[in-house]
Amino acid sequence: MSAISGDPNDIRRMSGREIADARAPEGPYPPTDEMLAEPMDPEVSRAQAERLRAAWKTPQGWRYWSAVNNSEVGLWYVLTAFFFMLCAGLLALAMRVQLAVPDNDVLSADRFNQFFTMHGTAMMFLFAVPLFEAISILILPAFMGARDMPFPRLSAYGFWCFLIGSVFVMGSLLFNAAPKAGWFMYPPLATQDLGIGSDIWLLGLSFIEVASIAAAVELIVGTLKCRPPGMRVNLMPLYAWYVLVVGGMIVFAFPPLIAGDLLFELERSFDWPFFDPERGGDPLLWQHLFWIFGHPEVYIIFLPSIAIAAMIVPTAAQRPIVGYSWIVLSAVGTGFLSFGLWVHHMFTTGLPALSLGFFSAASEAVVIPTGIQIFAFVATLMVGRVTMSLPMLWIAGALAIFTAGGLTGVMVAIASFDFQVHDTYFIVAHLHYTLFGGMVLPVIGGVYYFYPFIRKKQMSERMGRWAFWLIFTGFNITFLPMHLTGLLGMPRRVFTYPTGLGWDWLNMVSSVGAFVIAAGFAVFTWDLLRPKGHQPPPPRNPWRAGTLEWSHNIPEEAWGSRSIPYVDSRYPLWQQEKIVERMDAGRYYLGDAEEGLRETLVTSVIDARPVYVARVTGPAWITHLAAGFTGAAFIIPTFHIYWPAVVAGAFAVACIIYWLWTSTARIPETEKKDVGLGLTLATYVAGPKAVGWWGMWITMLADSTAFAGLVFGVFYYWTSNTAFPPPGADFAEPWLMAGGAVAMVASWAAVLGAREINRRGRTDIARMALVAAPVLAGLGVAGMVAALWLPDLDPTSHVYPAMMWVLVVWTVAHTIAGVVMQCYCLAGTIFGKIDPAHDADLWNTCLFWHFLCLTAIITALVTGLLPRVL
Amino acid sequence: MVHQKGKDWQDGVKSDEAEFAEEADSLWRITLGPLIWALHFVASYGTTAAWCAKVATAFEPVPGLRIGLAVLTVAALAGIVWVGWRAWRQWDFTEDWDYVNKEGENEDRHEFLGHAAFLLAIVSFVGVVYVAMPVLLIESCR
Repeated sequence: MSAISGDPNDIRRMSGREIADARAPEGPYPPTDEMLAEPMDPEVSRAQAERLRAAWKTPQGWRYWSAVNNSEVGLWYVLTAFFFMLCAGLLALAMRVQLAVPDNDVLSADRFNQFFTMHGTAMMFLFAVPLFEAISILILPAFMGARDMPFPRLSAYGFWCFLIGSVFVMGSLLFNAAPKAGWFMYPPLATQDLGIGSDIWLLGLSFIEVASIAAAVELIVGTLKCRPPGMRVNLMPLYAWYVLVVGGMIVFAFPPLIAGDLLFELERSFDWPFFDPERGGDPLLWQHLFWIFGHPEVYIIFLPSIAIAAMIVPTAAQRPIVGYSWIVLSAVGTGFLSFGLWVHHMFTTGLPALSLGFFSAASEAVVIPTGIQIFAFVATLMVGRVTMSLPMLWIAGALAIFTAGGLTGVMVAIASFDFQVHDTYFIVAHLHYTLFGGMVLPVIGGVYYFYPFIRKKQMSERMGRWAFWLIFTGFNITFLPMHLTGLLGMPRRVFTYPTGLGWDWLNMVSSVGAFVIAAGFAVFTWDLLRPKGHQPPPPRNPWRAGTLEWSHNIPEEAWGSRSIPYVDSRYPLWQQEKIVERMDAGRYYLGDAEEGLRETLVTSVIDARPVYVARVTGPAWITHLAAGFTGAAFIIPTFHIYWPAVVAGAFAVACIIYWLWTSTARIPETEKKDVGLGLTLATYVAGPKAVGWWGMWITMLADSTAFAGLVFGVFYYWTSNTAFPPPGADFAEPWLMAGGAVAMVASWAAVLGAREINRRGRTDIARMALVAAPVLAGLGVAGMVAALWLPDLDPTSHVYPAMMWVLVVWTVAHTIAGVVMQCYCLAGTIFGKIDPAHDADLWNTCLFWHFLCLTAIITALVTGLLPRVL
Repeated sequence: MVHQKGKDWQDGVKSDEAEFAEEADSLWRITLGPLIWALHFVASYGTTAAWCAKVATAFEPVPGLRIGLAVLTVAALAGIVWVGWRAWRQWDFTEDWDYVNKEGENEDRHEFLGHAAFLLAIVSFVGVVYVAMPVLLIESCR
């Protein structure tokens, strides 16, 4: 074992094993009580704080908008999502005005269609999901005493993408061009819809979904790898457990919708007949793909909000949560079961009764874990001494409303009952009860609870109670009668109705209630945004909570945490004496920023042992440029213009390459550094220890899920067509397809070989492998494309060739990305960014290629072999 | 307990790989129960969809399908019981009657993962039973 000096050249001469040893942590861990009790020299501490403050300084003036720190990006994200919630709420009000009396003509049918489509779309995609990500980006690092998320620029990029995409989608209303086929865009209505509304929906939302997946990747990696030392999995704040589960759900739920969007847009733009029954397509496939996303999505919205409750309830009860393991069980269990419910949105589509039975049963089963967590909250409140604080009031209201929505949920999960109320106002009432109770009210409770942490001010207790009672009563006045309206047969989404059906007074009551809700939101919004400059700063821990975020600094500091504590309890502020004092003094880890760099601690997945110091990225404009070009690449095709979109996409890639090249996996000036308490950690690692590798791994998991959605499509068409492929259809050229796949495997082997050879110090041979790899990849995709091109496989003729083509197109697109990465690594070895000891980029590229290689093999089998045997 | 570089750090499970090696089973096991539920669910749904589309006609009884699914269900339940039993052993509840496992020790982490896996096995068991019930009651595809 060799110790290394600061000279990076030393480590380049070592073997792989020696490098790993040299980068192992050195020094005592865990810290002893004596070490922690030793006082800090106030002079030293002050000097450290100065350096830390300088490193984390938020840009001033107009440069403020280049900030990437989680406290800034998270705040912008939350406010943007909140703004779109208000917009969507106004649309709802307009609809309630239209429906207040029969035969009304305030809104035309067309505009009404746009409004209800955008109400649902905005509430789901521009408010509920982004808000989870926004809140988590804002507060999750603080729960874990971390400095920032692992990839700050990725959060910023995600936010700017979201902003561009959502302004575009929402803005279409102003041009009377908004999507109007309902928020789930069922074909054939949506595929045949004239105008660009459906394209705006598809492309705008695909763009936002990509941003959501990026945020989910960051949150998962943050939870797994950026916990404070000692915070084992059994000590994580419950919020972190929920983030992990919900992040995982996003990774598996969003990609099928992206696959569906791809098919849908190919049909609208190029007439590939995926949803056209005359040419073998099937509109039901869209419903499957949409709801495989759409039902988990309900829980993706619900779980993070209940996670906020899981933070507020113990504080209100002034005791640890009862049944920590039970709540973890319910979060994980709900996460799984929620993927078995999607067909309960499709009970009336004529699927086999047995299939309906499975989904009905699973829909009843999901009640069990959901119920368990609510019982755990109630138990905590019963055994604690509850103070009915304002946040707790909102949580209590949420539990009441959610329980009511859950009960109607049990009813509509029974297929035969659902047949009666499908597409009526009963469903509207049910879904609003679950979403208000499961999302809106707990989130507002969370806003009151976390406001002192976020803004270092307090919101008004009196206005808060007014807002609560207005929203709570207004909500019940609006939506309770809708159950009856629905049972009396009023269908949803009608722009008006005739008088004399017994619906008149019910609709009037609902419309009045809607305005009461709006009044409540007006009070809340005013309280949220009104200037509070004269207010004295609140106490540091106003609710006497036990979790780490309440060690925050007043006045605000941008560093997240003065020093990263050693945690060995679930409620450190209650259970670890003097922890805040020691954090403030810089007694714990990374209390200094000697190099003036932004750093955070990366720990191991299960036991949170310190692994290395990650240098995180600082303020930048490149993220804005990248987001702008990415936005253009998605938005321009809406107008059926393609080449400028391709150019914009190329610029977006160029921006991202510049950003990665200049600021990620940089070779550090020193291989190891002292992080405090006698511990010395590496500053550069590659492979599974590095956060970048984890980010790639989770991204590729999501990507493969989308690919699996396409493969599912092939089998789906096989069951829905009497003959698939249709009689007389051509097959792909088998040998070209096989040859293409072999070349792809060879390209994968070349990049893997390059990594291993480079590790052994033979950079010159590694370079040759990296030259060969893209050439092989090019041959591979050429073979695969030719295999479909040479026979007469016209994608517009039938869904079978279209499906074959879409798999190959998918592989080609990913190969382009894979080749860019190979070239990036080649350039890295030439220009000194990659050397035998610093090869993180090569590791990540190899990981990408593992997945790509598998994708190519499956594509070759499904297109070259499967049609011949079906 | 002070770890110095070298032997202690090696013993004291330092890297993700080593940690996974120690907890590989239990990490698996925490999601293994729900995973079996998911596989059972997908297999039930997929087989039924294919069978009803390609083999059976609308109102004809489908005994073959139902028996096949029943066998699958028994297998899935057996798998979950095995997972639950392993998790129960790992939780080791009767040894210290500790169901909170809130300390920062290896033992607490280990038993917590066992407890969570055990509870998930119960939920998965109930989930599989629920999903299998239609097979008992419904005789044909329609």
